[in-house]
Amino acid sequence: MKKMLLLSIVSTISLYAAQTSCPQFYLDGEAPDILNKNMVQKTRELCYEAFGVMHSGITKTPLWSAEILLRENLEKKIPRKDVFHEESRLPRNERSELSDFVRSGYDRGHLTPSADAPTPSAQAETFTLANIVHQDHVLNAGVWSSIESATRYLAKKEGRLHVITGALFMGNRVKAIGNNVLVPSMIYKVIYSPKQQKAAVYVVDNAPSKNYKVISVSDLEKYAGIDFFPKMSETQKAEILDLPVPQEKH
Amino acid sequence: MKKNTDLTIKPFQNETECITIGDFTIENRLLHVSFFGSLDITKDKKGLENALILKGVLDSIVEDMERQELPDMIDQNYDQKTVPNPFIKTI
Repeated sequence: MKKMLLLSIVSTISLYAAQTSCPQFYLDGEAPDILNKNMVQKTRELCYEAFGVMHSGITKTPLWSAEILLRENLEKKIPRKDVFHEESRLPRNERSELSDFVRSGYDRGHLTPSADAPTPSAQAETFTLANIVHQDHVLNAGVWSSIESATRYLAKKEGRLHVITGALFMGNRVKAIGNNVLVPSMIYKVIYSPKQQKAAVYVVDNAPSKNYKVISVSDLEKYAGIDFFPKMSETQKAEILDLPVPQEKH
Repeated sequence: MKKNTDLTIKPFQNETECITIGDFTIENRLLHVSFFGSLDITKDKKGLENALILKGVLDSIVEDMERQELPDMIDQNYDQKTVPNPFIKTI
């Protein structure tokens, strides 16, 4: 918890209140505001067919990837082949390359998972490295995969969910791999149900663990340095949407 | 929906290829091929199709590995460095 405190001392003035270029992926068309001024540097928004990414040229990773999950888009998909690829829309010195993952000991972890994407072309786009972070293998293949599947299960029940999946860089020092691509310390998934008008967050350490936590948006904001829903009241952010227990199969 | 016909990989030749069968994933890497998730091979035509995809991938891996001299165990010590967290305020 000591690590979290360090980032909690961020300014509460919104420094990134610029209009989003991908409003279609956010609640009321409002993207999260970055409150930490160090985090605003070299950020670029990238819009795709089914998700929007806020990318950092400092960490050379996505900060988050946002999508709207609709029940009707979550039918079983046929087997397919995809190709991990570098994001040519990002400057070379701000992006990760495939070579940054070789011999890294880490998986290429999707923020917006390919199984959420509604069409083959949208699925293919999730393999851009702008949507990928260095993720622990045990986590990626284990509880994180179950969290992704629990989220789809909830979307089928609720009909529609707003989802923001992101990476947090905590503590005084962070791991760097390849050509200085930073490794997230934690990964989170913010989920908002318009039907219940409540949100909650799954949070995991980027480590070989089966543990996860469910917290409120308000608690996540305390150490993320991001205002996830600029128009939402503090009371609403403090409520916790009932999230399913992650299981291998839902 | 059009079928994706090429469901094969060139094992250990690239870091790009990824095959997805439901919740099951196969990822090609230079030093390993990763299989993760879960898949039921159902006793029907679809199950056979899935089994054949897996068999094709495994056959290509075995064929590639049998053609070369392999170490007893691959070196799994990865370089890891740390840098100051750029998001921490430095006042």
